[in-house]
Amino acid sequence: MTEAVIAGYVRSPFHFAGKGALAKLRPDDMAGAVIRGLIDKTGIDVKDVEDLLVGCAFPEGEQGLNVARLIGFIADLPQSVAGATINRFCGSSMQGIHSAAGAIALGAGDVFICAGIESMSRVPMMGFNPLPNPALTERLPAAYISMGETAENVAKKYKLDRREQEELALSSHRKASAARQGGRLADEIIPVKVGNETVSIDGCIRDETTLEALAGLKPAFDQNGSVTAGTSSPLTDGASACLVTSADYAKAHGLPVLAKIRAIGVAGCAPEIMGIGPVAATRKALKRAGLTIKDIDIIELNEAFASQALACMRDLEIDPNKMNLDGGAIALGHPLGATGARITGKAAALLKREGKQFSLSTQCIGGGQGITTILEAV
Amino acid sequence: MAATTTGAPIRKACVIGAGVMGSGIAAQIANAGIPVLLLDIVPKDAANRNAIAEGAIAKLLKADPAPLMSSAAAKLITPGNIDDDLDKLAEVDWIVEAVIEKIEIKQALYRKLMDKRQPGSIVSSNTSTIPLAQLTEDLPEAFARDFCITHFFNPPRYMRLLEVVGGPKTDSAQIERIAAFGDIALGKMIVRGKDTPGFVANRIGVYWMQAAIIHALDLGLTVEMADAIMGRPIGAPKTGIFALLDLVGLDLMPHVDASLAASLPAGDPYLSIRRDFPLLTKMIAEGYTGRKGKGGFYRLNTEGGKKVKESVDLRTGAYAPSTAARLDSADAAKGGLRVLVTHPDAGGQYAWRVLSGMLSYAASLVPTIADDIVAVDQAIRTGFNFKRGPFEMIDELGAAWLAEALRKENRPVPDFLAMAAKAGSFYKVENGRLQYLGLDGSYRPVERPEGVLLLRDIKLASKPILKNGSASLWDIGDGVACLEFHSKMNAIDPDTLTLMKQSLDHVGKNMKALVLHNEADNFSVGANIGLALFAANIAMWPMIDDLIGQGIAVYKAIKYAPFPVVGAPSGMALGGGCEVLLHCAAIQAHSETYIGLVEVGVGLIPGWGGCAEMLIRYQPQSAKEPKGPMPPVAQAFETISLAKVAKSAAEAKQLRFLRRDDGITMNRDRLLADAKAKALALVAAGHQPPKPAELRLPGPSGKTALTLAVDGFVAQGKALAHDRAVSLTLAEALTGGATDMTEMIGEDQINKLAKQGFMKLLRSEPTLARMEHMLSTGKPLRN
Repeated sequence: MTEAVIAGYVRSPFHFAGKGALAKLRPDDMAGAVIRGLIDKTGIDVKDVEDLLVGCAFPEGEQGLNVARLIGFIADLPQSVAGATINRFCGSSMQGIHSAAGAIALGAGDVFICAGIESMSRVPMMGFNPLPNPALTERLPAAYISMGETAENVAKKYKLDRREQEELALSSHRKASAARQGGRLADEIIPVKVGNETVSIDGCIRDETTLEALAGLKPAFDQNGSVTAGTSSPLTDGASACLVTSADYAKAHGLPVLAKIRAIGVAGCAPEIMGIGPVAATRKALKRAGLTIKDIDIIELNEAFASQALACMRDLEIDPNKMNLDGGAIALGHPLGATGARITGKAAALLKREGKQFSLSTQCIGGGQGITTILEAV
Repeated sequence: MAATTTGAPIRKACVIGAGVMGSGIAAQIANAGIPVLLLDIVPKDAANRNAIAEGAIAKLLKADPAPLMSSAAAKLITPGNIDDDLDKLAEVDWIVEAVIEKIEIKQALYRKLMDKRQPGSIVSSNTSTIPLAQLTEDLPEAFARDFCITHFFNPPRYMRLLEVVGGPKTDSAQIERIAAFGDIALGKMIVRGKDTPGFVANRIGVYWMQAAIIHALDLGLTVEMADAIMGRPIGAPKTGIFALLDLVGLDLMPHVDASLAASLPAGDPYLSIRRDFPLLTKMIAEGYTGRKGKGGFYRLNTEGGKKVKESVDLRTGAYAPSTAARLDSADAAKGGLRVLVTHPDAGGQYAWRVLSGMLSYAASLVPTIADDIVAVDQAIRTGFNFKRGPFEMIDELGAAWLAEALRKENRPVPDFLAMAAKAGSFYKVENGRLQYLGLDGSYRPVERPEGVLLLRDIKLASKPILKNGSASLWDIGDGVACLEFHSKMNAIDPDTLTLMKQSLDHVGKNMKALVLHNEADNFSVGANIGLALFAANIAMWPMIDDLIGQGIAVYKAIKYAPFPVVGAPSGMALGGGCEVLLHCAAIQAHSETYIGLVEVGVGLIPGWGGCAEMLIRYQPQSAKEPKGPMPPVAQAFETISLAKVAKSAAEAKQLRFLRRDDGITMNRDRLLADAKAKALALVAAGHQPPKPAELRLPGPSGKTALTLAVDGFVAQGKALAHDRAVSLTLAEALTGGATDMTEMIGEDQINKLAKQGFMKLLRSEPTLARMEHMLSTGKPLRN
């Protein structure tokens, strides 16, 4: 079987939807800029690209049609490069990486650009025309359950108190803040132009937040609940991209390989506790890799909510010291379709930076799913 | 703007001084759609040289009531500073100076901008205390020619008065130019004052305040008693005197008093009533500067976790829990001013002392401060929000009666008052026209500026074409009729609907166009829910059903009339009062119009076509807006379910209660004329009624989406149980019931769904409880 490797990772700065610096930027333009950045950074010959896979959770409006194809045009990829938009909600761009790895294994191409995009400013969650199936809603109300409600459900099921969630949120901000100040994020960020301004740093990280400040917030989804805006990932605008190639191609072209893809997994779970989706998906992937969680050195667990991150950490027995070294989504932001490529690319980059062997990237997915990727240093 | 101004247009303005007044004036200029520079000094050692002006703009955006009418207006204000930005004056047509009241600072500023401003630009000062003659002393002729005083009242958006004062050197064309701009673009009542201390409004208004304070002290009244008389009973705002001081700031009074006293001529009656008020000095020193400080004559004591309203004892200065004033005279005042001032209790004596002094003072000041009594009355009405000006108050008392009462007390009777006593009154109506008494003893008509058409003038001169207890139809000339509501709070009841129908018939047969307009504070607060509640309580469902059906039919007749119906609202236009506007061919709204569909507050949904009309208004207007069946539904749902009320006509456009080509009139007095012109323009353009709308609505899937959203709000504690019931009923109507997105649905069907929902809600206990609560308390019940 042909091995697939991650040979490059970049992303845009992440900013709050609505009030942030990227609100006025079209998502297709944002993704185009990030892909150009990836091409420049890796020096790849664009003619060799088989397919542009773009993950997007709400592919409509400016993210609509087959936005991957349009982003290909915007990024000046040759017209011979194909393009597909992939939707697995928050797992969309990680799914792109999985699809690329599968194609490589089948010998169906050597070079894939696996990107993700979400402008939550410009395309609302639920889309412009939410039209849930009334009969399904009747039969299985959780099919359309709001994400905040699932976070409350998980908090209740795992008896996670508010303080624990706030401690995780604070830790996420502290790590992200230190990483930004230490210049450890600059490497992955492609500055993007919005009008006449260039935006080159993240906008969601709160350097100054404290447990007291977090404790002062009102519950965001259930007036009697424990989940607040401070313990949830913010609505975010952002784009990300990974270069996924066959190991042979990377070697032949001298690409700076970050890691190879060792195993993957997806799994479903009850939609009302979608936040624990990573548990089953990770167990599958670990089994396929022949590893245990103790073997993993670097973990990127997407913090959709502090409650679900804590629940997954508990069930999977994750060592917090290995997790989200440069901060997680609560601090950095969570542009739905773009997160999967971020946490996979980030894990690959961290393996290299930290000189470790195995990484695991995983995330929960609305509707009740999880997705996991295990990488190995080369 | 609908009307044109006199002279070269004012396309760009600059306000120097970004304090409360300066920034408020800049905001009102921006509200008029005119770009404005807002400059202040560079603060010492500042990193940001525009910090003061930028801070002022940030405050404008937060202030309540809002000085800005829309977010778009805020963008028209450009901050700057007087060190770096005076070159920009080369493009400015009007410079307003609103800096500190120190003559040397003002003059230094004038010298600084003298060479920078473009020739012919107007420079005006917002001074309230420094005479124009002093301001322009030693300044070049060319500057003095373009210089005048434009004195705004606080807050500039909401206070209608603008005093314009020129000096002997001021070019009268410049005065006309700024007066026209102030009137038409800024919407102000222009009063031309003379260069005398306090100009017009403050000269009399400050006397009133001073008199109200000292007589309250002399008579040993409590602050509650004083305010109970000095408010509504005399036709002043309900804050009376002490609550008014709390509102404007206690520290303002000593400044105003000192500057007025310093500049008044010897022997002026004001000088004889002013005196030290040690309690005021003490309170200011202790930080009791009014609502902006720790409190004032009233304060809210929150010690011990409870909120207790307290007031100051005017003798001891100690706070004690506030007690309501019990004065027979305050109630008796409903019988008229004379009943009040002749009432034997302390309130009656107080009213007499204050008013007799103030009214004779006013009568002694014409023509010193203004050419005629009309200007003085307008100044007090619009500058101090009195219901009547001093001369109108004298007429209510009776000029002869007042003169006689003064004589009995051996007090001087001003000559002009004696003249009015002899002639009978200061105003009279002759040949259907309002006349006022001139200084020569003859009456002359009150002239309205060109472009001002007032229903009250028409009503003096003619009889209504149609009339019943709730509405009247008037002929306003050129084939245009005006339908006036005049029920209590202009609530819409069966009589209103009947007269609407009769008016449509009449205009259809005999005239060209119809305008819906009235001069009450509020266009209409909506349907008469008292009547609906009464009918519901005795289970007269067919009657209510019929009333809703009638409303739908009449509003539909307005929409499909073969002639244009133009809505011309000012103030609140809520619920059924909003819905009638939504059916008009066009709207010409006063800038201070507050439109909203607020039915959910009483547990109902719009039943007179509001649902369908909002869906039509939210259809995509450009390719940029998202397509599909849900976006218009989601927007209408948000606007109606949250009972959003636009805080200005500009905001009503953003919320789409007004359409893009609907007009906005800044000056209320020009509204009827503008609406009439709009109606005639539609006639000239060959007005055709619209084709009935057909909409593609999402049906049950859309309702499911809205249900999920509402359940989220309930979980968050943002919506209560009955909010959910009302919202889902609204959702049913807005999503088109059982329709499918492959089908088109007509507005009649939507109206039918809304009516069904309305009737269903009206039969529910929580809705009836909401209605009862609203009627008894004026506030919405949360259940």
